[in-house]
Amino acid sequence: MTMLRVRDIYVRFGGVVALDRVSIDLNRGEILGLIGPNGAGKTTLFNCISGVVQPDAGRIIFDGRSLRRVPPHERARRGIARTFQNLQLWNSMTLLENLAVPMDALGRRSTIADALGNPLSRFAERATMQRARAILHVLDLDTHASSLAGDLPAGIQRRAEIARALAMRPKLILLDEPAAGLDAGETKRLADLLNAVRERFHVSMLLVDHDMSLVMRVCDYMYVLDFGKILAQGRPAEIRGDRKVIAAYLGEPSAEVAAVEPDGASQAVIASADRNDGARALPTGAPLLGVKGLAAGYGPLEVIRDVNLLVRPAEIVACIGANGAGKTTTLRAISGIVKPRAGRVFFGGRDVTGRTPERIAGMGLAHIPEGRGLFPRMSVEDTLLLASDNTGQRVDPGVAYDVFPRLKQRRRQAVGTLSGGEQQMVALARALLARPRLVMVDEMSQGLAPTIVKQLFEMLSVLRSKGIAVLLVEQFVESALDVADRAYIFEHGTISHEAPAAELRTDRKLISGSYLGTAVDDLAADPVEANGNGHRADLELMEVLALKVPPSVKRAIEERATREGRSAGAIALELLEGVKQ
Amino acid sequence: MILGHPVRLGVAAAAFLLFALIPAGFDVGLKFDAALSLVWAFGILSIVLLTGYVGQVSLCQATFAGVGAYAAGMMFNTFHAGYVVGIVVGVLAAFALGVVVGLPALRLRGITLAIVTLAIALVFDKYVFQDHIFDWFTGGSGGWRVDGADLLGLRTDSSNHLLAGYEVLLALFVLVALLMVNLHQSGAGRRFRAIRDSELAASTTGVNLTRYKLLAFGLSAGIAGLGGSFYPLIAGSVSPQPFWVFTSLQLSAIAVLMGVRYVPAAALGGFFMAFVPDILTRYGHGTFMGHSYDISYDWFSLALGALLIVQLILLPDGVWGDLHAHAARAMAAVRVRTQRRVRVA
Repeated sequence: MTMLRVRDIYVRFGGVVALDRVSIDLNRGEILGLIGPNGAGKTTLFNCISGVVQPDAGRIIFDGRSLRRVPPHERARRGIARTFQNLQLWNSMTLLENLAVPMDALGRRSTIADALGNPLSRFAERATMQRARAILHVLDLDTHASSLAGDLPAGIQRRAEIARALAMRPKLILLDEPAAGLDAGETKRLADLLNAVRERFHVSMLLVDHDMSLVMRVCDYMYVLDFGKILAQGRPAEIRGDRKVIAAYLGEPSAEVAAVEPDGASQAVIASADRNDGARALPTGAPLLGVKGLAAGYGPLEVIRDVNLLVRPAEIVACIGANGAGKTTTLRAISGIVKPRAGRVFFGGRDVTGRTPERIAGMGLAHIPEGRGLFPRMSVEDTLLLASDNTGQRVDPGVAYDVFPRLKQRRRQAVGTLSGGEQQMVALARALLARPRLVMVDEMSQGLAPTIVKQLFEMLSVLRSKGIAVLLVEQFVESALDVADRAYIFEHGTISHEAPAAELRTDRKLISGSYLGTAVDDLAADPVEANGNGHRADLELMEVLALKVPPSVKRAIEERATREGRSAGAIALELLEGVKQ
Repeated sequence: MILGHPVRLGVAAAAFLLFALIPAGFDVGLKFDAALSLVWAFGILSIVLLTGYVGQVSLCQATFAGVGAYAAGMMFNTFHAGYVVGIVVGVLAAFALGVVVGLPALRLRGITLAIVTLAIALVFDKYVFQDHIFDWFTGGSGGWRVDGADLLGLRTDSSNHLLAGYEVLLALFVLVALLMVNLHQSGAGRRFRAIRDSELAASTTGVNLTRYKLLAFGLSAGIAGLGGSFYPLIAGSVSPQPFWVFTSLQLSAIAVLMGVRYVPAAALGGFFMAFVPDILTRYGHGTFMGHSYDISYDWFSLALGALLIVQLILLPDGVWGDLHAHAARAMAAVRVRTQRRVRVA
């Protein structure tokens, strides 16, 4: 039976339509997956359901009641809990307190009584803490109960977010990228945990994640969002084979490759040989950029670990892989924006690990970040002249205008008024004028129309012909592979595969595996109980917590628990044992 | 056990006894400083609640204190009510204004909220406390004079019975401080702190942001107003000058200096704010190596600014916060060492 009914939700932010008449249904007890490329509108849909964003049109019905104009805290009381992609625990509070907040926010306790510390309030306090401890125990977090949430490692914080959601006694949990930043083993354990939680706490879940190994493993049914619309829906196995979905993630296969796809590698290499020197001999010789055992992250999150890669002069190297696999962080760690935690970065034969970004840039490494890093009110020409300040010598914007003639017409225009493609050209031109030896481009095609993307990628081969190496991170895998010489495939914060681009162009299975998950095949091999990480899912205790016990019995158990100084869960278990016998 | 943990109660009682005896030997000027330091301590305590617990910025806490002071003075002079009534009305008036000021905080945060509250402080300073339209509230340019007032039979004149006023104020301060520590460790306190750490997570876990933000602003203003409503009693009169914009800024600065998350820092800050400038102006002039010097009140502001910079670098959690943490760590280290010694022996 349907628990959550989302009908024709429409949301726009300024000129951008984030959700275009999206409808989904979630049945009681089901884990529903929601996937889609970046910017598809998944988090916006979450925000609509949890009440943080008001949709412009459409209805959301939860448990038979409309959620129109219901504030977030009231939705929480009706049984909708959520976790956050960018960890939103209350960092200066202990884990126990983090769980206590939703518990007593749901019960109504008086502020005045709390301040006076009267006996009733103290009794409620004890009961709250006991339930919080029980939930922490179930998720095997009890050793961290009195640590400050902000001090815990990210993996633990992710689990704590789930614990906090469970503390609300929810009917539905919205999980926003719970596997982000976890490695393959941790992701598998998370999948087991979600399955166990669903079984024992009788909650439904709506799961957004880029990590397809997780989604495939736990979801009963899934929806695919793309550009704010439902692209496909079905069981995980169906979705994985869906051509539309693969295209949304990887871009349309280029015509030649598509034509020869059924038969194998050799022909495809020939087919691509005559365009963009795709099959030219791979450059050899001393590497321009060398990365050894690189690890980096943000706060408690370790995003990449043990990354090794090489870029040779006049070579285009693509980094591909699912979102959150660590590509952007790798670029940032190389250019010094993020301090590496371990490993070395060599550029032009010198060790540049830990140097400031401006010094590394001064050595000839240009980094074009996601979002292009432009100044919207500055004119095109001023932006280009800025490059001279970076190199110390006067540059001639004419050089850039030769490569990008369109910019010459627009040189007096403010950068912010240009189209997305033109802005990307400005960013490339600026990087070019700084006379770099290596250009790193992050998500060059984001938000751009396919024809523009094609032009931009052609520009990259122009750079290569000028002897400049390019390291690029790209979502449109097909376009990236068309122009690249080699590619690294990122998975779970490290490089899982390295191959010449020509080889990857023909072997779509390898790439679609890294995006859409291959792990499902070995799903049967590992039983749920086999939890590594020292994680015991205490199934019996979960059962006890999920029981709907009448208040009088519950009170009796709690009273006995305080009298004997034991946890209520232990007493309940003991009683259940008695009943069995 | 009402009022929470017995240890907390014991500490509070000890603090009261300790501080109650200190000003006995002071001259009138210093006695006044002692009472004034508690008025400002209430002001800083209100910032501890609002900023330290709930994470909301307000630069008009002295305005709340001023509203409390004028309301109390008005009740005493215009309605000839007992001074206790004046205090109650002062607290209620401040609470109400606090809730109104809290309304913009439902939408704004950070620097914009700071600017809005600063504007409120400016408006009250220029157009309420100093404008003739509000003479009924402020008692005109002379302000309200409060002579011969008593609190439930206790004579608390400005000059002769200053000490009595100080004791009452001190008892109230210790009580409110105790309640605030209780609050911090309770359900409502956790909800406040949840709002400070992440409003998004708080609202989606069932915390009613509207209610708790308004409550925080109201309670905070009420605390500031409670201190302020004693001002006419101890000073003998009330004028706009002590509650102008700069006092609000000074309260915030001292709260940060002493440790905005800690209740004892409020007492420390109040003491600092009342005594240091007075002692500076009293003894800070004479001649040194042939040059005559005169340390005026301006020097206090300058020193406060310099201290704030030093503190933000060396003691980022405030004077109380960091020294307290250092002391706790040192105690733990000593304990470990003595244990080791026992084991060796």
